[in-house]
Amino acid sequence: MKEQLQKDFDNTIKNLTLSQRDIEIKKFYLDNFINKGFPNRKEEDWKFSDLNQIIKKNIGELSFYSDYTFTNKVDTSAFVDGLEHNKIVFINGRIEKIDFDYEKKDQIEIIDQSETINKFNNNSSLSDLNSAFTNKSFKIVVKKGYQLTKPLIIYHTTNSKIWSKNINLRLNFELYENSSLRLIDLFRDTSEKNFLNIFYNFDLKENSILKNYKVDKFENKNIKYSFNNIEQDKNSISETFILSSGSNFCKNEINCNLNGEYSSAFVNGIFSINNNKHHEIRTIVNHLTENTKSYQLIKSVLEDSSKAVYQGKIFVNSQAQKTDGYQLSKAILLNKDSEFNAKPELEIYADDVKCSHGSASGSLNEDSIFYLMSRGLNYQQSRELLINGFLLDVVEKITDPEVKNLIKNMIGIKE
Amino acid sequence: MLKINKLNAKIDSKEILKEFSLNINPGEVHAIMGPNGSGKSTLSNILSGKKGYEVSGEVLFEEKDLFEFETEERAHKGIFLAFQYPLEIPGVNTNIFLKTSLNAVRKARGEKELDAIEFLKLVKEKSKELKFDEEKLNRQLNVGFSGGEKKKNEILQMSLLAPKLSILDETDSGLDIDALKIVADGVNTLRDNKNSFLIITHYQRLLDYIKPDFVHVLMDGKIVKSGGAELALELEKKGYENFH
Repeated sequence: MKEQLQKDFDNTIKNLTLSQRDIEIKKFYLDNFINKGFPNRKEEDWKFSDLNQIIKKNIGELSFYSDYTFTNKVDTSAFVDGLEHNKIVFINGRIEKIDFDYEKKDQIEIIDQSETINKFNNNSSLSDLNSAFTNKSFKIVVKKGYQLTKPLIIYHTTNSKIWSKNINLRLNFELYENSSLRLIDLFRDTSEKNFLNIFYNFDLKENSILKNYKVDKFENKNIKYSFNNIEQDKNSISETFILSSGSNFCKNEINCNLNGEYSSAFVNGIFSINNNKHHEIRTIVNHLTENTKSYQLIKSVLEDSSKAVYQGKIFVNSQAQKTDGYQLSKAILLNKDSEFNAKPELEIYADDVKCSHGSASGSLNEDSIFYLMSRGLNYQQSRELLINGFLLDVVEKITDPEVKNLIKNMIGIKE
Repeated sequence: MLKINKLNAKIDSKEILKEFSLNINPGEVHAIMGPNGSGKSTLSNILSGKKGYEVSGEVLFEEKDLFEFETEERAHKGIFLAFQYPLEIPGVNTNIFLKTSLNAVRKARGEKELDAIEFLKLVKEKSKELKFDEEKLNRQLNVGFSGGEKKKNEILQMSLLAPKLSILDETDSGLDIDALKIVADGVNTLRDNKNSFLIITHYQRLLDYIKPDFVHVLMDGKIVKSGGAELALELEKKGYENFH
């Protein structure tokens, strides 16, 4: 892999106009990655999901260079219908379209950061990989007091032109005081056996609101890692919702720093997976000052030999009195070969806090199935109704009504 | 309509029904009374197709072997069980459940499925008859319902599905006298010369409102005595002890 990395790195650098110093920095990250390799189960954060093995088994040899000199045609039929929205379209890792048609132009700033290197708050080698190879990166700034009128959908599209490729993306978001953004990440893959490595950083200033909905619903054979770092000032709110379903492997990691008083973070998620899929959600919520709040609810429905992992950590430092932290996970295992791993962690250094966690897993209630079938529903209908009912309260946590409907439709929950 | 001939049932190798036989003709109302553990609920579970029992013997419904049919097919053919303990189904809207159920049954019977408007009209009408709080129709199925509301919901489902054979498994337990009358009215409305009922109860009380054609005493897995409505009164006076 080392030679491939070196060669692909040289090709990537060639297409960028970087200063010698920046090239050195990128090289530093590359060397870091070469030394560490993909994360494996020896690392605590990856002990349930050995990415190194998963890539070996599902992809084999990866290549890291993407030729971005030609454009891809944007398929407008893939756009979400019935919901007016702004869009950013990635195709095979290349930004093809940025469109904020519904917004006041002077209230949003898009800064090309392709030639800047910024460090991510992430210790895994994937951060090094991302820093070494990302060749186009933007910062999106929402100005003071501006609330986007329509959601922004980022289409992560891949097609069959790519194969066994590693794609690295990064985006920075800055939400100024009293601003708000609704962001939907929608994955649409018709490609197979690629590894997507996505890094987002969010800076939430005072009173700002971020709602990020990550939707990996469509069946595909790719492997994904997505990292959100969220920095929160006073009174800011972040709401993250993850629908983890379509990919062969997907790990979503949310790192949230509640730096300002009265800031709050909500992370809710659904695993709905089958076959041999393996998905993980890893959250770290750091309560770093007084009067902050976090809430996490994860529900899983696991079929066949699928495996889901939820590692949720609530960290409360010694200044963070009056912290309110909560996490709960519930799983339904539909098959004896399915597996659910939950590792809740509470690390608390303040004494006046309210923190709780819970985790439960079990099978579908046969008595409930019998009840529904005795009313004329067949087994499949009964099962579907129970599963949708089980998942409903997570979906109900979505505070944006338009997005809630979109996701209900995707999951097949009827009103 | 229903012919049960020497039905034996075991669960975890414990014998519950022993050579149980019963005939129910169209239009008849049968009451089965018996002490706890006599096999009343097992009987209703087996008739509606609950898994987990080891059975032998013969059960014919409209001359066909009932054991050939899955639970939902029995519902389609017109068997309805009002549960002793109706289940709470979180996240499932009562109206959606009722509509799905009704349309599944209608479809199987070759009838036209109802659209949302037709369904709402019907369900509102039936709810009114049964004094079932319409607001509950928009709640999650049985979640947070009182015992009486759950039982009324069972009767509402019964009246929507218009079954040929309704089995009421201790529907009277946990009901106050007003609710009891409403439930009885629901049954009596459906009662005609075609539809039959099997009413399972501990007490004679319900039978004041739904007059049975036959009363059977079930003890230790078999019927030990059968008679008319007057048998229930006798039981109430003497208790089950005297039937040993």
